[in-house]
Amino acid sequence: MPPQTDYFDLTGKKAMVVGAEFPAGAAIARAYAAAGADVALCALTADEAVMRARAVKRDIEAMGRHVAEYVMDVTLGKNVQVTTRQVAKEMGGLDIVASAPDLFMAKPIEKTSDTELARVMQVNFASQFFVVRTAAEEFRRDHRAGRILLVTSVLGGRSMLDTAAYASAHGAVHNLVRASAHELGGEGITVNAISLGWMDWMDDRIDQSNEDGKRALRFPMLRRAGHADEVGGTAVWLAAEHASSFITGQIIPVEGGLLQHQ
Amino acid sequence: MQEQFRLDGKVVIVTGGGRGLGRGMAHALAAAGAKVMISARTKEQLDRTVQEIRDAGGVASSFAGDMTDSAQVNAMVDACVAEYGGLDVCFANAGIGGGTDAEFWEYPDWAFEDVLGRNLKSNFYTCRAAAKVMVEQGRGGVLVLTSSAGGHRASKRWAYATAKGGVLSLTKVLSGMLAGHGIRVNSISPGIVAQNDPVDEQDAARRAQQGTFVPANRVGAWWEMGPLAVWLASDASSYVTGTDIAIDGGMMNAGLAPVSYRPQHEI
Repeated sequence: MPPQTDYFDLTGKKAMVVGAEFPAGAAIARAYAAAGADVALCALTADEAVMRARAVKRDIEAMGRHVAEYVMDVTLGKNVQVTTRQVAKEMGGLDIVASAPDLFMAKPIEKTSDTELARVMQVNFASQFFVVRTAAEEFRRDHRAGRILLVTSVLGGRSMLDTAAYASAHGAVHNLVRASAHELGGEGITVNAISLGWMDWMDDRIDQSNEDGKRALRFPMLRRAGHADEVGGTAVWLAAEHASSFITGQIIPVEGGLLQHQ
Repeated sequence: MQEQFRLDGKVVIVTGGGRGLGRGMAHALAAAGAKVMISARTKEQLDRTVQEIRDAGGVASSFAGDMTDSAQVNAMVDACVAEYGGLDVCFANAGIGGGTDAEFWEYPDWAFEDVLGRNLKSNFYTCRAAAKVMVEQGRGGVLVLTSSAGGHRASKRWAYATAKGGVLSLTKVLSGMLAGHGIRVNSISPGIVAQNDPVDEQDAARRAQQGTFVPANRVGAWWEMGPLAVWLASDASSYVTGTDIAIDGGMMNAGLAPVSYRPQHEI
């Protein structure tokens, strides 16, 4: 028998959103809160990122949920672990961990320096690895069938000029989802990703002063860029205990049909 | 190493082998040493391609028939076995648009049946007839031509794309069912590959324009299908089965933005 429940209700759930200062992370945090969850917001750096996370915090407070903000240096596995431990202690456990860091870089492969490659891999991929590793540790400690959600890019599976470093990092995230979903599946922990196409904040990769850049926005079947609030619903579905309990290792495209273009 | 790519003594069928990509594959397979039987509906095209192969020192014969009729497909395989004593590799390559241009919600039954008949049922008939011989032999190879339109949006060609999607599934399930019989089954997905050499400068210019949509910055040539066909038919691919190989100049990997679009963003 199906459970007698509101499938998409997150009431009483404790969620942590890493990269809450990014548009996708902020949208996910707001959606979790709107669905009833308490939310810990982690900004990656102690600068204006905190101010952006604070705006999200105010919105969530207005919804009457418990919300707190933290700074998490995702380039250091130890920092991810320690901060997550602190979050879990202060919130009374963790049910949902979402992670949405994004550092886009575009330059020809032969001009990409060691340092740039390391930085792109660190922020886009290694951070997600640390988050999954730490979330698994937390969920296992409490024997919780927790939910892990990573935000990634369609570039992880397809090509575009001058994006070799960034696309490689996200390709690694795609496989992190599959590999860790397999490894954690026995404990009921699910790992999924939302793969974003062209979103309306992505001026860094879709240059609208460029004719080709403008044309790229006509490539999705919906013929437009996506909005941040269009990420939230999918994030809630993938976080809800009874709505997606048999879905794991999946990369869910939220891209308006962009991947159908050829 | 080179001998792994040889097909000496192997018997190969290429349906739709009179022209276009089938002709390209038939030429290369014969050059690698295979005895090739090509089939198509148009006798003149078959005769010309057979003559070309023979002129190049190869062994080839033809079967004029309609691959949408299972009786004719069976007769083709029978004729091949009668002439060459067996069948080692079968290329189910025949297929052509068909149908009509009507909108999806107006699309008539006959047109959908027509497209499925030409592009999906014909491949089923060919694979079935080939498998019957190959299962008895305990070895063989089946190659199915699908298309980059198989899994993607194709606007006016939606019915064709649907049929090609079916062909892709057919390949996958067949590879599983026939693997235990020593039969490998793979598919080939051509992107934009020209059916022949350009006939004039205007034709060449049109192709150059089409090529701007491809990361390789050109469309494929019909004869480029040949080496791929030889590799998949030969022992060089003896552990490859159930897979789909794209020959598309990188087109299906791209498609997120105009091919020449170069974002610039420093960190």
